[in-house]
Amino acid sequence: MYRSQKLALKYLTAAITLFGIMTVAGLMSAYYYINPDFLFGILHFNIAKILHIDTMIIWLLMGFMGAIYWFLPEEFGRELVGIKLAEILFYVFFGAVVVVAVVFIVVQYGNSDETALWFINQGRKYVEAPRWAAIGVVVVMAVFAYNVIGTAYVTGKVSGITAVLMVDLVPLLVLYLDAFPAISNMSADLFWWWWLVHLWVEATWEVLIGCIMAWSLMQLLGTSRRIVETWLYIEVALVLGTGILGLGHHYFWIGAPSYWLTIGGLFSAFEPLPLLGMVVHAVYDAGTHHMKTTNRPAFYWLMAEAFGNFLGGGVWGFMMTLPQVNLYAHGTQWTVSHGHFAFWGAYACGVLSVIYLVIQKLRSLTQVDGALWKWSFAALNLGLVGMVGALLVSGFAQAFIERAIGGSTHDAFIAGQSSPWFVEGMVTRFIFGLMFAAGYVALVWDLLTIGKRAPVLATAGAAE
Amino acid sequence: MSEIGLLQSALLLGVYVALAGSYGLVYTIARIQDAISLYRLSLVLYGLHGLTAIAIVAWTPLHIGWKGLIVASSAAFLAIPPITWRLLQRTHEPEVRG
Amino acid sequence: MHVDDPAFWRAGAISTVSIMSVVLVMLTIDSLAAISPGGSNVPLYTVINQHIDYKFDDKRGNDMPVIRGAEPLFGKAVDAAAAEALIDKGKMVIQSRSCIDCHTFFGNGAYYAPDLTKAWLDPAWETWKIITGTKTREDAMVKFLMHPDKYRIWTRAMPNLDITQQEAEALVAYLKWMSAVDTNGFPANFGRMQQKQ
Repeated sequence: MYRSQKLALKYLTAAITLFGIMTVAGLMSAYYYINPDFLFGILHFNIAKILHIDTMIIWLLMGFMGAIYWFLPEEFGRELVGIKLAEILFYVFFGAVVVVAVVFIVVQYGNSDETALWFINQGRKYVEAPRWAAIGVVVVMAVFAYNVIGTAYVTGKVSGITAVLMVDLVPLLVLYLDAFPAISNMSADLFWWWWLVHLWVEATWEVLIGCIMAWSLMQLLGTSRRIVETWLYIEVALVLGTGILGLGHHYFWIGAPSYWLTIGGLFSAFEPLPLLGMVVHAVYDAGTHHMKTTNRPAFYWLMAEAFGNFLGGGVWGFMMTLPQVNLYAHGTQWTVSHGHFAFWGAYACGVLSVIYLVIQKLRSLTQVDGALWKWSFAALNLGLVGMVGALLVSGFAQAFIERAIGGSTHDAFIAGQSSPWFVEGMVTRFIFGLMFAAGYVALVWDLLTIGKRAPVLATAGAAE
Repeated sequence: MSEIGLLQSALLLGVYVALAGSYGLVYTIARIQDAISLYRLSLVLYGLHGLTAIAIVAWTPLHIGWKGLIVASSAAFLAIPPITWRLLQRTHEPEVRG
Repeated sequence: MHVDDPAFWRAGAISTVSIMSVVLVMLTIDSLAAISPGGSNVPLYTVINQHIDYKFDDKRGNDMPVIRGAEPLFGKAVDAAAAEALIDKGKMVIQSRSCIDCHTFFGNGAYYAPDLTKAWLDPAWETWKIITGTKTREDAMVKFLMHPDKYRIWTRAMPNLDITQQEAEALVAYLKWMSAVDTNGFPANFGRMQQKQ
């Protein structure tokens, strides 16, 4: 095994660990809605929510990095350039995440000066990590880019997938520099902030996961390189073709000119179209392989990715993306519903799929299967769908009562949040959150033991 | 937009995309299994998608431009599964042969 | 070149991404002018010296800020430099206390607490004037922000974030300035529903 692949295992382990922290912080954030006195005066909603969202970003990012560190040495046929540096930086990265989390929990906030932004909390959604840590992220990403580009340079072997990956790493790094400024003008601040958030999540990340899925498909289904590369190019063209100006749907209400209503609405209305193509593609792959594979969990998570992306991004997104609807839906639990579903479908399922692939190679399993992964698959997906369904009901109630009837004032906000539809939605969300958490526990147990315990199918057969 | 109009429009828009997805899904399964009954079902689903588009155009307070986009998207949704299918077959052909 | 050839799609991907990126850059240049203070959509910071309202504009077909007449904040007009200092400070308060992880600004943020886009114009401050025993909206806001735990009116409460008098005043200035930003009608019907009742 390459050292890069050992590093990949560390990244994937860290990713799964942070996935757990994200789940716990998510349950906490959900519980505040049911019991507002929970930890009042000790740890408030905002900190739990920061931990929830920031660990989500970091675990997915670490999952991507782990997957790429896993596939790359096989792609190049050699160890990655600068692997020693990357190994050191893994510990720096993970240590920094822990320090940032402890500071969030213990210190929470500072005074209104630069010191607070440098050492405690930058107070910008998704990029709350203090500046010192944000610099750390830049360094980690720069070394990551060096590993990839440097190895490509040394070997002179640049496949289509690695070419796309290398080109993608540039905006990934450059856009993150937007995590630093503190622009006073909120309109300008949010304008640039969306460059980071949207163009990371709906552009550079889509390409990253596209590259990872391309390698996965070659390994999982034995699809040829020519085919996956063709489809990777198609995906890049369609997803970025609709996604780059899809950025406009975040510019409807931040003070930007009104032409964004047209541009943003138009391009985000195009976004479901490539997602439908992906569904067709996934079903084609499943059908031509007769659902037979040596790694069923990886395969099912890959399918969940295609369907989750279509439902969460396509259906849920289209419900609220046209400006006339978005005027009321924007910034309500409706958005939360869409966000959960889309992130899950577009990224989380893909990372989980890769982890099962890695485990197959790691433990030299001819067949990856069993009962436990099905339980975790079912509980995680049902839990997630239950959560987004409940959030959608709450979001509808909020948009209806607070926004459309109440005119969005403080009193209208309280009226919306107190409505039985909203409250019951929040309780239901929490219950499904618990199911999701149970699925997470089953997932970890399965990842730790799959292939190590006696084959479940054989045992079941013997019992009969 | 009235509060009822808001929820109706949003639900119709969601159902509109969901039915397009169901059509694509069933269409692809029909092609894989070469099942004419499933193919007919996919057309029924597309028909329902079309009816949703008509309902959006007729009943929702969306502006005319967005309604035009809905109709145009419906045409695209109809074409995407067969086009993707054909492209998939073409790209996979050398592999199947070889 | 043929659709079976990956090079065909590579060319497609490169050209699509390039075109879209160029269009985005051009639109960004235009937008930045509109959203800089004093641009077509975002007022100068000295707007805090004026009266701000939010009314439905028949021509535009959405709500718009209406700025007219003098109404200095805390009864004292400030010059451009002082206004900018207040806004800079206000933003620092917002970031240091991570307000955006409970509230929303222009609908962006977290959804645990009310949207603050037009908070300056909220009719609820009339109630808080009585609760806090203050004469003006801005004084009520300052008192509330410094001691939100004392003026709890609902099950979900704002915690005390050790906001000082100076910080609270800057925050109020910030919220007043923000209420004058043209947000294409977001939020719709703000405050009018209560007036109708």
